Amino acid sequence: MKINKLEVLSKDEIETIHSASIKLLEKVGIKIDAEDCRKMLQDNGAEVDKNSNFVKFPEILIKEQLKHVPDSFKLYGRDGSFNFEVNTHSTQFGTIGTPVRIYDPSKKKGYRKVVLSDNIKQIRIVDSTDHIMASHIDVWPSDVNFLTVHTECIYVWAKNTRKPYGSGCYGRVASKDMIDMMSIIVGGENELIKRPRLIGFMNPTSPLHLPTLMTNGLEVFAKYKQPTIVAPEALAGTSAPVTMAGLLAQTNAEILAGIVVAQLFNPGAPVFFGTVSHITDMRSGNSAIGSVETGLMTAGIAQLARYYNIPSRGLGAVTDSKCFDIQNGLERYQTLMFAALAGINYITCAGTYEATLAEALELILIDDEIAGMINRAFNGINVDEDSLGLDVIEKVAIETKPGATFLSEKHTRKYMKKELYIPKLVNRNRRTTWRKKGEKDIINSANEKVDEILKNFTEFEISPNMDRELKEFMKMAEGRTYDYFRKAEGISADSVTLPDGIEIREDK
Amino acid sequence: MSLKEKMKETIIEWDEDGLRELCKSAIESKKASAAELLSIIGDVMRFIGDQFENEEIFLPDLIGSADTVKTIIDEILDPAIRASGQEKETKGKVVLGTVESDVHSIGKDLVGSFLFSNGFEVYNLGVDVPASVFINKAEEVGAQIIAMSSLLTMSMDFQRKLIKELENRGIRNKYKVIVGGSPTSEEWRDEIGADGWADDAIEAVSLVNKILNIK
Repeated sequence: MKINKLEVLSKDEIETIHSASIKLLEKVGIKIDAEDCRKMLQDNGAEVDKNSNFVKFPEILIKEQLKHVPDSFKLYGRDGSFNFEVNTHSTQFGTIGTPVRIYDPSKKKGYRKVVLSDNIKQIRIVDSTDHIMASHIDVWPSDVNFLTVHTECIYVWAKNTRKPYGSGCYGRVASKDMIDMMSIIVGGENELIKRPRLIGFMNPTSPLHLPTLMTNGLEVFAKYKQPTIVAPEALAGTSAPVTMAGLLAQTNAEILAGIVVAQLFNPGAPVFFGTVSHITDMRSGNSAIGSVETGLMTAGIAQLARYYNIPSRGLGAVTDSKCFDIQNGLERYQTLMFAALAGINYITCAGTYEATLAEALELILIDDEIAGMINRAFNGINVDEDSLGLDVIEKVAIETKPGATFLSEKHTRKYMKKELYIPKLVNRNRRTTWRKKGEKDIINSANEKVDEILKNFTEFEISPNMDRELKEFMKMAEGRTYDYFRKAEGISADSVTLPDGIEIREDK
Repeated sequence: MSLKEKMKETIIEWDEDGLRELCKSAIESKKASAAELLSIIGDVMRFIGDQFENEEIFLPDLIGSADTVKTIIDEILDPAIRASGQEKETKGKVVLGTVESDVHSIGKDLVGSFLFSNGFEVYNLGVDVPASVFINKAEEVGAQIIAMSSLLTMSMDFQRKLIKELENRGIRNKYKVIVGGSPTSEEWRDEIGADGWADDAIEAVSLVNKILNIK
C-alpha cells in the first residue's frame, strides 16, 4: 500500500477549528486597509466598520465563494514543455524564502550579500533538479534598486529556466509588470492566462490583517489567473495564540478571507491554501522556523485544506541553523517530512537556512535529494506475487554454489530502481574509499555538483525582438519613482493612471 | 510585607489593579513620592530582567510585567512627577518604529519592551512610519537614539532614507541611529552609515547601553 497520511486533527477537531474561524470572521472580521477591497466585500454582503477598517465576513459569503475555488490547476514553464499539476493529493517541491545572504566558502564569514548574478545561478540550479518544480524571486539582490528587482528577475527567468516562476504579490504595479513581461516572453496575455507561469505569494499579516500592497497584488494575480498562495506567517506566542489550536483557528480565518477576496476579484482564480506559520522562541523572542511545532501546524493546515478541497502549501526544509551542522539537517528533514507525510501539495523553501534569510545553492541539491527520498517513501510497499519473490528466495537459499546472492538475480535487476532510491549526494562508501576520494562531506559533494551544473549551463535563447521589447519595458520601469508606486497603490492622496486598464482608485 | 515587596508581587503577577492601588495610596498617604515609586519599579524590573537573563523565566513573564508597569507609569507616576515640577530620571530616550511601507511590529515592539524594562524611555511610533515622523518626534522629545526596524527586504531602503533626511536637515550628529530587523546586518549598518545594529531585542539593549556609554 501507499504510505498513510499523517493526521494531527480528528474530524471533529477540524469542524471545531472551522467553526472557530467562521466565528472570528463573523464577529471580529479582518482588518483590510485598501478601501476598494473593503467596498467590494461590502457590496457582496460583508459588514465594514468605517473606523477600524475591520470587515466582517458572513458565513454565507465564505461558503459561496469557496464554491468557485478550483481543486487543481497546472503550472507551466516558459515554453510550456515543462509543466506539472497542482492538486489536493500530489506533492510538489519548490523554493522561496527571503535570503539576503548566500553561502560563499571563500569569504571569512562563510557568506556574502546576494547579488543579481546569484539570482541567475540559483534559478539555473533549480532548473537542473529532478524534484524541485519551480523557483521564484527567491534570493534578494543587493545590487539592484528594490523598485526594479521584479523586472530584473523576470528577465533572468526568460533566459535561465524551463520551470515556472513566482513572486510576492507586492502591489498592483509590480504584479502587473511581471504579468506584462511574462506575456511578452510566452506569447501574449491569453497564453499566460490559459497556461499560468507565475505563482503569487499573498501573506496576510497576523493577526487578522490584509495590508494594501498584498490585496492590490492579489487582484492582479487573480484577474490573470496566476495561482496565488494565501499564506499567513503567524508566530505562536507573538502574532497568534501560543496554542496550536488557537493559531490554526486564527490563520484559517486569515486564509479563508484571502481566498474569498481572490474569488471576488475573479471567480475561479486558482489559489493555494497556505501556511508559513511557526513559533516564537520563548527565551529570545526570535521566530523558530525549524521547530517541531512548525511540522504540527503545517500538518493541521494540510488537513484543513483537504477539508475545503483546496491544494495546500506549507513549509519544509527550513532551519534556524546558521551553518551546515546537524541542527541544519535535522530541522530541514523534520519539517520536510512532516509536510510531506501530512500531504501538503506544494512544499517550499528548498535551498535556505538561517530561517530562510540565507541561501546555499548546495542545499538546493541536497533538498532535491531529500525530495527524491520522500517521493520514494510515498510509493510505499508494493505487495503482490512477483514482488514477494518466493521463487527467487527459494532459488538463492538452496543454491549450493559459493557466492550466491540476490545480486545476480533478474528479479533484483528488474526491481532495484523501482524499489530502491539511488542517491546522488549521500555517501555510502567505506571509510577507505571515502578517504581516497577526498573525504568529502555532503556540502563538498554538492558544491562540486553546483560548479559542474553552472559550468555546463547554456542560456536559453530569446529572439532579438523579444529582448528589445523586454529591455524597453525594464527601462520604462526604471524611470518610476517611489512616489509613483505609492500613488499607484492608492497609499497616498493622489492617484495615477497605469497604462494597462487596471483601475486605480484613490484611498480617501 | 514592605511596600517594595508588595509592589514586586503585583508586578510579577501582572496585577495592574493591585499595583495601581499600591501606588495611589502610597502617594496619597505621602508614604512614598512618585519618584521613589518609580525607583522601586526600576529595581523590580532589574530583578526580573536578571531572572530572564539567567533563563529562570521566559519572555512572556518579562513582557507582561513590563506592560503592567508601563500602564501605571503612564497613568499615575509620570503625571504625578510632572505635576510636582520634577524631571523624570531616565537612562536615555529612544524613538522607535518600523519604517515606511512595512507593517510588521513584533520585533520592534520586543525591542521597545526590553529597552523600557532596562530603564530607557521609549517612544514607540508604530509601523509604516515615514522618516519625517521619526525625526520630528526625536526633535520634540529630545531623544538620543532613533531606532528603525524593517522586516521586508523591500522596506530596508527607508532606513537609508531617514539617515539622508537627517543629513539634509543638518542634524545627523545630534542622534545615534540604530537599525534592526531580519534582513538587516552589520554590513547593512555600514552601507547606510548607521551608528549601530542589533540582531535581536537582547542585543539591542547592550547596543544602546554601549552607544550611550552606560555600564
